[in-house]
Amino acid sequence: MNYEVVIGIEIHCELKTKTKMFSGSPTSFNEPANTCVNEIDLAFPGTLPTVNKEAVRKGIMACAAFNLEIDTLLKFDRKNYYYSDLPKGFQITQQFHPLGKNGYVDIEVDGNTKRIGINRIHLEEDTAKQFHIDDETLIDFNRAGTPLIEIVSDPDMSSGSEASAYVETLRQTLLYIGVSDVKMEEGSMRCDVNISLNKPNEPYGTKVEIKNLNSISNVARAIDYEIKRQSEILDKGEKVISSTRRFDESSRTTIEMRRKEGGVDYKFFPDPNIVPIRLSDDWVKEIVNSLPELPSERKKRYKNDYGLNDNEINVYLGNRDLAELFEECMKYGDKARSISNWLITDVLAWLSKNNVEIKNSELKPKELVRMIELIEEKVISSTQGKDIVLDGIMKGELTEDIINEKGLKQVSDEGMLLEVINKVLDEQPQSIVDYANGKDRAVKFLMGQVMKKTRGQANPSLANKLIVEELAKRINK
Amino acid sequence: MEKIYKAFEKAKNDKCNAIVTLVEPKENLNKGKLSGEPIILKDNISTKGIRTTASSKILDNYYPIFDATVVEKIKAEGGVIIGKASMDELAMGGTNLAAYTGPVLNPWDYKRMSGGSSGGSAAAVASGIVSFAIGSDTGDSVRKPASFCGIVGVKPTYGRISRYGVVAYASSLDHVGYFTRNVKDASLMLEVLAGRDDKDMTSSFKEVKEYSKLLNSDVKGKKIAVFKNVIDSLDNENTLNLFNDLLNKLKEKGAIIEEVSFDNDLMRTLFPVYFIIANCEATSNHSNLDGLRFGVSEDGDDTREVVINSRTKGFGSLIRKRFVIGSFGLHEENQEKVFKKAQRIRRLIVEEVKKCLEEYDCLIAPASNDIAPLLEGNKIDELSDKYLIAENHMVIGNFTGYPSMTVPMGFEKGCPIGVNITCKAFDEENMFNIGLAIEESTGLKDLVAKVD
Repeated sequence: MNYEVVIGIEIHCELKTKTKMFSGSPTSFNEPANTCVNEIDLAFPGTLPTVNKEAVRKGIMACAAFNLEIDTLLKFDRKNYYYSDLPKGFQITQQFHPLGKNGYVDIEVDGNTKRIGINRIHLEEDTAKQFHIDDETLIDFNRAGTPLIEIVSDPDMSSGSEASAYVETLRQTLLYIGVSDVKMEEGSMRCDVNISLNKPNEPYGTKVEIKNLNSISNVARAIDYEIKRQSEILDKGEKVISSTRRFDESSRTTIEMRRKEGGVDYKFFPDPNIVPIRLSDDWVKEIVNSLPELPSERKKRYKNDYGLNDNEINVYLGNRDLAELFEECMKYGDKARSISNWLITDVLAWLSKNNVEIKNSELKPKELVRMIELIEEKVISSTQGKDIVLDGIMKGELTEDIINEKGLKQVSDEGMLLEVINKVLDEQPQSIVDYANGKDRAVKFLMGQVMKKTRGQANPSLANKLIVEELAKRINK
Repeated sequence: MEKIYKAFEKAKNDKCNAIVTLVEPKENLNKGKLSGEPIILKDNISTKGIRTTASSKILDNYYPIFDATVVEKIKAEGGVIIGKASMDELAMGGTNLAAYTGPVLNPWDYKRMSGGSSGGSAAAVASGIVSFAIGSDTGDSVRKPASFCGIVGVKPTYGRISRYGVVAYASSLDHVGYFTRNVKDASLMLEVLAGRDDKDMTSSFKEVKEYSKLLNSDVKGKKIAVFKNVIDSLDNENTLNLFNDLLNKLKEKGAIIEEVSFDNDLMRTLFPVYFIIANCEATSNHSNLDGLRFGVSEDGDDTREVVINSRTKGFGSLIRKRFVIGSFGLHEENQEKVFKKAQRIRRLIVEEVKKCLEEYDCLIAPASNDIAPLLEGNKIDELSDKYLIAENHMVIGNFTGYPSMTVPMGFEKGCPIGVNITCKAFDEENMFNIGLAIEESTGLKDLVAKVD
């Protein structure tokens, strides 16, 4: 039978800040274990938290991007529990007064737009990382205290594809506004899914939580599997058990980790060491107003102003650096489609072949645009562009310099071309015979000879036209 | 340095069991308000590379990697740390009987207690080892032992002195305090310790005055409120007589003395409200003591067992009892009627005291009913007004955060007893001035217990 599926998603996202949420030690990625820690991160007695303003700023940006109401009275609470990855024995979070509440995001699924409510976004700190090796536990405290936002959706989704579209939209947006690296595989964005099934017009069913999904495709796979699993249980007239599960990649199933029996009591209470902070309205406004263009807006603009297609736009939404490069190029030219085409195919290919990141490439956008113009003006051929000029400008050289140095300018002077063509025809009488016998291939061969003599500089279409004319003259003689 | 080595020798020969760790003095080339001055710290003040136990077994082997802000300030002003002093375990207690190194004896009478929780610091000053010692005050942990030891004990306004590096007990009530043997030294010490610290978000940006230069014992026209509920709860005639003598002398100096009564039922809640808030915050604050990253670690099959074993063996039974009470108060189903209720009553009390101090310059009362109790004391009736109000009224200074100090008032059986004053927030200048007037009235200053 058919069930209604109710899905809510909680996302933890590491904020891109220089220092930790409540201490001055540096945030880290892939640093040697326990090198980015100080006495506060390790919760040595007598240490006290101080709030990282940059983390608050990035949190506000996230709230603004998803249309949340921002609470300008910043408060923090303690979530108390003992665990070896939690140095203080409590996590500082925002249980009672989240930074933002009641927002939404629009997602697109199969061409339709759906609005998903965002219940809250709050600031908190990350835990340490544990490694269990044989019967030993190793703890790396570098991650302890890293600023996080938790984004809690309303239970507004009803399928794997909606859920993955939601996560992808969040990911793109957070990436675009620059608040996080949002690398799911590396754990800077982590996703927990709550899912329940019920018969139409009946109350919500029993909730199951799937924890730590590490890719967008796994979000969809885990949900699809879970819908199937729960449907089968309900079909048999049995009850779904409230539990926390994980997704197993190899079997593509979800596996129970623990059952939920009477929730854990975290004994939340306001942290007495952090006095409530009144954020100035001007500061908040300034942050909201300086929010960069969101991917949804950019998508519209690329479609309407530049006429790019969905595939091209999706490349830019997934690769902000490339999109920024595209924007730079568009300052110097107006041929959006061909600029985009060069970027998405040739420039990306060059970068990956040479193992260079866009951020570190020496390409001057103006030079790429100039090259494309010269190709369109037929000053150089597109093959010359791809094979010779691109490599130079990717290394920071100037288009015109390369063309001059390598003598790439096309010869479009008819007199000069005719001289070369006739010389070639004199040397290749057999070709004339072949052509007269209807072998069109001969033109191609002759063209090659012309190119050889002009070191590739002959304007190909003009040369082609002249060869055919000269052949006709000689046959008709 | 001579003064410092002399103090160090005295500390070595301490007969009160006040010193936990002796610190070999290092010459301090900084010139300042404490130049050449030996200092003793309560053992919950973090000292870089120097053992800091908070008198708890679980921290027996703990050497901090950083100095508390107050330690930095003392060093910057030329002070030299010569020792760490005993305290009630994790500052939880008022007797100094709960240190894992044993009780601290009162220098005036070894059969009596020093009071706590800053008992070691108080005894060190009272027995003449040092003129300055740092303590901490969450209920009355500086002001009560100061009373029992015949010295000056100061707890300034919440936020006046940074708490960074002071092992936390109950963050909303914790204050750094200190002991001296006269009011002038007390006013000077605040100049050294006070000031904004970016590492403590609750520390104040308010300017630090030159309290010692502003000292003025003229109390003409000052309005002093006598804390009537406390007076009514006292049953020691000697204490009452000493107090009334003092009031008469202040009156002679021109002070206006009036009695003020608060709702007695509200005053009877002082101790239980304190006990709940303090233990609830403490159980959370001390969750970091788990034997995993520092401190004494007991064996276990996994990290969870290590934590359980370390905490079970590392804390005294009184502490474990307090953790259970605190944890009970924070549980979701209890929080509303225990922890939050206590916080609401705290606010009511604060409002009452605030109203009173809008009209008066200070609130005054004896620091306790009696001199320091015997180590083998009699059982006290914990539900009597004498206990609930007379012995616990100074916690008002922690509820409100207002500045409060204890100054010697007189003697009984050769042992001292003090008087307490509490003033408006950040009105330390006025507090020291009234304190000086009291000191001049009693003539009790620079007292040193005769140590045999």
